[in-house]
Amino acid sequence: MQAELATRSRQFTRARRPGAAEAVAGVLALFFLVSAIAPQVLAPGDPLAIHPLSAFTPPNFAHGFGTDESGRDIYTRVVHGTQYSLLIGAAATAIGLSLGILLGTLAGMFGRVVDFTVNRFLEVLFAFPGLLLALLFIVIFGPGVATATIAVGLSTAPGYARIIRAQLRSVRSAAFVEAATVLGRTRWQILLRHILPNTLAPLFVLATLGIGQAIVWAATLSYLGLGAEPPTAEWGAMLSAGRTYITSAWWMSFFPGLFIVLTAVTATVLGRSIDRRMRHA
Amino acid sequence: MPRVLARSLRRLTARLAGAVFVLWMVATVTFFAVRLIPGDPAQAVLGGPGSQASPEALAAVTAEYGFDQPVIVQYLAQLGRLATGDLGTSYALNMDVAPLVLSQLGGTLLLAVLALTLAWLIALGLATWSTRGGTVASRVGSSLEIVAAALPHFWLATSLIVVFSIWLGVFPPISTGGVAGLVLPVLTLAIPLAGFLGQVMRESLLSALESPFVLSARARGESERGVRWIHALRHASLPAISLSGWAFGSLISGAVVVETIFARPGLGRTLLNAVTLRDVPVVIGVVMIVAVAYILMTLLTDAASRLVDPRLRLA
Amino acid sequence: MPAPIRRLFATTAGIVALGLLVAGCTPSGPNEPVGEPRSGGTLTYASGDAEPSCLDPHVGGNFPQALVSAQYLESLVSRDTDGKIIPWLAESWTPSEDGLSWDFTLRDDVTFTDGTVFDAAAVQANIAHLQDPTTLSSTGYLALGKVTGTEAVSPTVVRFTLSEPDSALLESLSQPWLAIESPTALKRSQDENCAAPVGTGPFIVESWVKQNAITLVRNDEYSSPPEDAGHSGPAYLGTVIWRFIPDSASRYAALQSGEVDVIDNAQPDTIVQAAQSDSIEHLDSPRPGASNRIELNSGQAPFDDVRVREAFIRSANVDDAVSSLFQGTATRSYSALSSVEAAGVSNAALFGYDPAAANQLLDAAGWNETDAAGYRVKDGVRLSVEFPVSTNQSIPAEQSVFEQIQATAKETGFDVTLAPMDLSSWYAALASNDYDAVSAPYTKVGPDVLRILYHSDSIVPAPSGYFANLAQVNDPAIDELLTTAARATDAAERTSLYADAQNRILEGFYILPLYDQQNHYLLRSDVVGMRTLPTVAVPTLYDAWLNR
Repeated sequence: MQAELATRSRQFTRARRPGAAEAVAGVLALFFLVSAIAPQVLAPGDPLAIHPLSAFTPPNFAHGFGTDESGRDIYTRVVHGTQYSLLIGAAATAIGLSLGILLGTLAGMFGRVVDFTVNRFLEVLFAFPGLLLALLFIVIFGPGVATATIAVGLSTAPGYARIIRAQLRSVRSAAFVEAATVLGRTRWQILLRHILPNTLAPLFVLATLGIGQAIVWAATLSYLGLGAEPPTAEWGAMLSAGRTYITSAWWMSFFPGLFIVLTAVTATVLGRSIDRRMRHA
Repeated sequence: MPRVLARSLRRLTARLAGAVFVLWMVATVTFFAVRLIPGDPAQAVLGGPGSQASPEALAAVTAEYGFDQPVIVQYLAQLGRLATGDLGTSYALNMDVAPLVLSQLGGTLLLAVLALTLAWLIALGLATWSTRGGTVASRVGSSLEIVAAALPHFWLATSLIVVFSIWLGVFPPISTGGVAGLVLPVLTLAIPLAGFLGQVMRESLLSALESPFVLSARARGESERGVRWIHALRHASLPAISLSGWAFGSLISGAVVVETIFARPGLGRTLLNAVTLRDVPVVIGVVMIVAVAYILMTLLTDAASRLVDPRLRLA
Repeated sequence: MPAPIRRLFATTAGIVALGLLVAGCTPSGPNEPVGEPRSGGTLTYASGDAEPSCLDPHVGGNFPQALVSAQYLESLVSRDTDGKIIPWLAESWTPSEDGLSWDFTLRDDVTFTDGTVFDAAAVQANIAHLQDPTTLSSTGYLALGKVTGTEAVSPTVVRFTLSEPDSALLESLSQPWLAIESPTALKRSQDENCAAPVGTGPFIVESWVKQNAITLVRNDEYSSPPEDAGHSGPAYLGTVIWRFIPDSASRYAALQSGEVDVIDNAQPDTIVQAAQSDSIEHLDSPRPGASNRIELNSGQAPFDDVRVREAFIRSANVDDAVSSLFQGTATRSYSALSSVEAAGVSNAALFGYDPAAANQLLDAAGWNETDAAGYRVKDGVRLSVEFPVSTNQSIPAEQSVFEQIQATAKETGFDVTLAPMDLSSWYAALASNDYDAVSAPYTKVGPDVLRILYHSDSIVPAPSGYFANLAQVNDPAIDELLTTAARATDAAERTSLYADAQNRILEGFYILPLYDQQNHYLLRSDVVGMRTLPTVAVPTLYDAWLNR
């Protein structure tokens, strides 16, 4: 996610009308939104209904994406799984961002001692392998969508904090902040009215980019056997289950994988597009 | 230059103090986190969870390792050992942690360094190609990067095994030594990372190519290739360099999965086993080593940034 | 031994038909005549089980240790495929009239690979080693629970004295966890002995690079194969490389590409694929002791009511799950014991899928309301079943079986929560009684495993919190049958007592049997003559040779 800080620094020379990529991303985003809010509209079946005797059916007319090891329809599961995966992606990113904002603001705004302390704290978090942090958290608090989400959120927080701190520092030295200081505004007024709005706007973009990564992280926890509780139709869990049968039933991992990638791509394309627009607004 | 020397010395001391603090905190957090995990550490000593250790054996182990002591006493004892460079004895493996961890370090470092290098090469190649080739190339490059960055390691690894080991039979599916066995694990780690680095590099390369110093270089009549390689890339690689410290940390997380799938000895696999078995000394040992490696890597990337960007040397 | 840490990352499961189940101990594929065995060569074995922390199976005592130690250590007795105890390092044995002392006559022509002579004193040293608390033995220690002492009657006769008759003594002694090691080597420090135990077996531990491989070399002086071995004299293979590949997909890929010659813990879908391959053979050898079964915690609600237990069992469509997920590689079990145990009692009638009967039973038991989600409710409490699942001990196919049981039980109104856990968390959940249903494999030679799993003494937790009677069967009649059977000196009486005990257990609906403990090996077709020891179904590479 830090990667996107640099991405953001790119200046575009002209505003553009939505391109083909943005149009496609928009349609996909709509599809994902409907899937998350009203999956029954797109896939009327039951994502948990088992049909052991029609297990491992390759994609065909009745099952567009094939069936899994218990004969459940993969298309139905993928659509119904959108809510979990988007929730994990969005909630984990929100947790990571909130913590990041808290720590980053502390470090960026409250003098050298606080900055030093928070920075050391961040270094400690950075020095931890992110996966270990997530693993320990899940082993301590038990598996499930909620713990996986918090675990992923926690392990992404230090990255956000660093970006926000850097952002704050550059905004703080900007001319309009100096002007406000000269005008005698209090520190809190400056923070709330001038600095935070200018720092947080770009964060929206960062957030859209983090979603895909959070889903991928959660999938890795599923591979380690510590993700969503079965039979939840979470994409990571489906991908992980399908990986087992990759040589005999490719469709079991291909479609959940495709949806993870599509979500990440959609979020990135939309994020960049919004970023561009905000810049020219 | 005594003043410069004094300043360098001060900076070095501050750095060292910071590093020691980070290591101390890492050890503390790990110690208490592992203590919170359900399960009895004495079981780890006695052949793993579920072994029906006799009461005598359990009592003996509990006394020997001091598991009946208050947590704070155990913590201080652990710290005391760490301060003298003693990583303790593994509960499960019956051997000293330091040689165990050091023997696993090489394999993981090799994997991480190769993956980082390859990711850099791929990212550089993709970035220069796609910025030169117009909008289509730019879009293709950008899409490749986004897709690559969204690939979970465990799935990519299995797909690579299916294609290169089972179908084509060119690379072995397990990595037990030898150059051929390194190819798939390194690719697994490098591809998603290249997606990240590539996005960063391409964007900063684009902005660099439009910046005043490149324009002036062009105006001076330098060749396009010279402009690209010397000025623009140098500028564009800065954020990617500073990202490499972070990337190194994420490679260790990736190594947990990759070493398991490719049956490669290494820190990642050791760490995962140790967490599963509640082998506290090994968990702490691995985390400490990774923390040291991370700190060194941060120093290296700082130095590299200074080397690449002369402005930083003055700061 | 509660088949521990079977694999850190079991993955994969499967498909398609493949008959040949039973206690088949020869490869199932076409094994054409291949001519005279050839000596020499290196065989690479890839295990999906966790790497042992100690190569001496006296220490702790788990399945991964048994797998590798069977190549370099030997026991006093063995067991043939019919379940009969046969001589190995002991030539013959006689119990006293009262069953309180046993004389074992030992072979006089065997030496350990460090040159030490195998004799009565060596056996004594091993029993002492197993019973010494500092050895930290658990499996071997428990198996010797009734042994109070040993005595060297002569250099070739050793006498065991018991506190009470032990009908399982020979079966216990046949296990790899009670193998005989060189007394000279046992005097070394535990660390040294763990790194390279010394026995009388066909191979010698040459080196062990942790987290990489164990290297075994041929014992050229070998002279003590068990009666049922395929040849005599030294082994054919020159060297054995023993690797650990935890990921099942990688393990199978390594076998396919010829990087390794034998793999264990083969998953159903790879077994099915292998059946279609000319270059890979399948060896199926179910483990002895208990079957794989779901145990229902009768110690607390809702399963303290036999009607609710029966309702759960009747509501679970196990047959469809097993046939779709294991596709012929596993046969449905209706017994508490493995199909290799001759004393096993099977009763299919008790375990049929019958949702109508399940509904009636639940109504009768007072679970006759239904909440909005469709689950049954009694006194405002939902009919929920906590089911912790060890992702180490249950392969993906088995986890999917549980998911299908969850789905079919839901139709009757059970709310089953499957909680995947790592091994330590799983044991912790069991120790704190946080479960209503659980599947825990248990391997031991002989029907005495019933006493460990279903005697009320086994509800009392060990200091670690571990207890083996996870169904929490607390029935004085069963206790009485199991205790008497363990003391029985007459074989027929013993079998009949165990049959009565099993009938009570099955009819009490404490367990839902699924299938045997799956134990599948896949090997390259040019590996000839590999078999498994009928004791605990671990492979022995003594007869194996490479036809290449």
